[in-house]
Amino acid sequence: MYILSGLLSVILFAAMPVSSTGLPAPAQVRSSGPASACLSCHRAQAVAQPQTPMAQALMLPGTNPTVKANPKLTVRKGDYSYTVETHGDSTTYSVTDGVRTLSLPVRWSFGVGGQTWILERDGQLYESLVSYYPNVAGLDTTIGDERITPHTVDEAMGRKLTQGETKACFGCHASNAVHDRKLTLESMEPGVTCEHCHAGATAHVLDSLQGDFSSAPPKLGKLSSEDISSFCGQCHRTWESVVRGHFHGEINVRFQPYRLANSKCFDGTDPRISCLACHDPHQNVVREDSTYDTKCLACHGSSAQLASTRTGSAPAPAGAKSCPVSKSDCVSCHMPKVTLPGGHMKFTDHQIRVVKPGDGYPN
Amino acid sequence: MEPELNAGAGSSNVGVLIVSLAANTQIIVRSCKLGEYGRKTCPLTWLVAVSCVLFPVFARAQANPASFDDIVLRAAAAREQDDVPQAIELYRQAVELKPDWPDGWWFLGSLQYQADAYAAARDALTHYLEITPDAGPASALRGLCEFETGEYAQSLKDIQRGLSLGAGSQPRNEKILRYHEALLLTRAGNFEAALQKYELFAGEKVPNPELLVGIGLAGLRTPLLPKELKADTQELFTAAGNAALRFMSGDRDGAQQAFQDLFQRFPAASNAHYLYGYLLFPTDPDQAITEFRKELEVSPGNAAAQLMVAWDALMRNDPSEALTYAQKAIAEEPALLIAQLVLGRALLDTGDVKGGIELLEKELQRDPGNLETHIALAKAYSKSGRKEDAQRERMRCLELEESEGTVVHP
Repeated sequence: MYILSGLLSVILFAAMPVSSTGLPAPAQVRSSGPASACLSCHRAQAVAQPQTPMAQALMLPGTNPTVKANPKLTVRKGDYSYTVETHGDSTTYSVTDGVRTLSLPVRWSFGVGGQTWILERDGQLYESLVSYYPNVAGLDTTIGDERITPHTVDEAMGRKLTQGETKACFGCHASNAVHDRKLTLESMEPGVTCEHCHAGATAHVLDSLQGDFSSAPPKLGKLSSEDISSFCGQCHRTWESVVRGHFHGEINVRFQPYRLANSKCFDGTDPRISCLACHDPHQNVVREDSTYDTKCLACHGSSAQLASTRTGSAPAPAGAKSCPVSKSDCVSCHMPKVTLPGGHMKFTDHQIRVVKPGDGYPN
Repeated sequence: MEPELNAGAGSSNVGVLIVSLAANTQIIVRSCKLGEYGRKTCPLTWLVAVSCVLFPVFARAQANPASFDDIVLRAAAAREQDDVPQAIELYRQAVELKPDWPDGWWFLGSLQYQADAYAAARDALTHYLEITPDAGPASALRGLCEFETGEYAQSLKDIQRGLSLGAGSQPRNEKILRYHEALLLTRAGNFEAALQKYELFAGEKVPNPELLVGIGLAGLRTPLLPKELKADTQELFTAAGNAALRFMSGDRDGAQQAFQDLFQRFPAASNAHYLYGYLLFPTDPDQAITEFRKELEVSPGNAAAQLMVAWDALMRNDPSEALTYAQKAIAEEPALLIAQLVLGRALLDTGDVKGGIELLEKELQRDPGNLETHIALAKAYSKSGRKEDAQRERMRCLELEESEGTVVHP
């Protein structure tokens, strides 16, 4: 074995090429563009998806409601003061030590609620050293950069991104940004578009206009729970990439496929535990705990409830233990909210389990 | 203060005691004449010498028969006067009288090693290990004897066992043993593991020429010992070893220059581009793949390069390409280590779960501690509905992950 740091997270974060026989992968071909191209046939998805955080995972200047709502953000971190100021369609990120000031335009904004900015200087991309966190309604150190102690204004400005990191960032937060292992910003489309997940959508649109529907992309909903975890994990991190990346402790709570696979109830062939059993990626995440009760009871319910999940002539799925405490708001106990260290936000822990008082966070 | 050295449990710690005492003792050994890590190197000889100085005192405490005591005293005196042949002869007589006296075998073995009588030293240490089987330093020293007698497979086993039992607890001893381990792994064709062992030497200010050749042999995937190399090829392996050691030491710019020099001077050298790619892969997979492809231009049938291209394709979730390259690699070199893992994973990810599991389970038998095999099996079992097996493999992965660094090479 060879020792390295961080490689796998980079590799698995990067946009993946199309595979003819393996999992469908984020596209490397020209995107179908706005979801409107898909609207005529897939109306519900094409209307709803552009409103989701995934569709807005990357925003260009002038389209960013967060900075428009907060036209002047400031924070002091150690010896340096930061200002993020928005005028019209332009946002400027500045850092000063009181003597020297460095100002750069924000090129791209990553994230919808919490937001980190990508800056460009001398042809090199940097991740802003401070980010916006809605829970503190202001700026703080970018998650993961706490270990950096800047000694100059240049260092305080941001962290230089490696080529691998850049591809990984844009590969997930945008569509069509990576071709043949190279970052291709000229073809990039902000956010996750149809083609990002449905590789071949463009060809399908063109073919369908000719009445040919044979080139339709594979139906992701038909993937097994294991495969859909791997698919979503290309950006949300797969179980194996988290293992290789040595992400220990609460920081791995945001890697849902990893947490879910560690659940005792995870079964790679049971659709009741798939990502798609609970989440429709074309819709915003539903926050009400009770919404998920039926999903839990599909396994942990009574015989009658289990029988109701029968499809066609298939036998009712095997049941699991029923909860002796409650039949509602299951996730409020069994999927606790965990604070992401340094992130000023909580994530739902997808490692489904019986949580007892005093239990630590299971890796 | 006299250390406890009773027969039985106490004796089994003799070697460990020697190591710890040696670390705090300044003794100059005359026979320090070869390389820093090679045979008869200063630290090892030093270790043996220290053991010989200290042990007679302990030994006397155990021996009762007068003639035996007398022999032991004379042996100690001979050794103190650096009369190694006489000391060997007397310890030989002592163990003849008391064959179950472990310390006598240890003295005899270590002195015989010092006298270049490797086969005899090996046999004496074998007696010692029969009485005290968990003595790490004795196992390691026997491994070094076997290295000299050409019993390479057994030597590797003994050195690794010695290391696992604490023979490398002192940095200098660890370097000697790891160096030999790396040489033996190289000779056995386990080049990746050898390169990993050589990482211990990263940062060496003035590397030993023999060390550079050793690294070069592992890097250029040549299953030979430095002494088995033809004189006219030394330059190539030294240059490769130098470039690799610079890389391991974190001197990326220096390494890049050294590799460019290597490519220029030896454009047809097999595995030179592979080596650079292999080192680059964890941190710069794109550049690494460029190097692997260059390697395939120089040596189109290079199975190791094909395998790394396959592994990279797997990491990029392109199992079809991975399968193509893995199959090519296996066709070229069926016995290539970890080839079954890459092919098994490629089969799994292209939908042949059963075929994948078959190969992966076979690979697990060969190398039960490989994290990547466990990761692949966890996925394979999960895909095939074997929930409990998948969970077991995941737990094993987490245990292995705790105990080793981040892994990207298969």
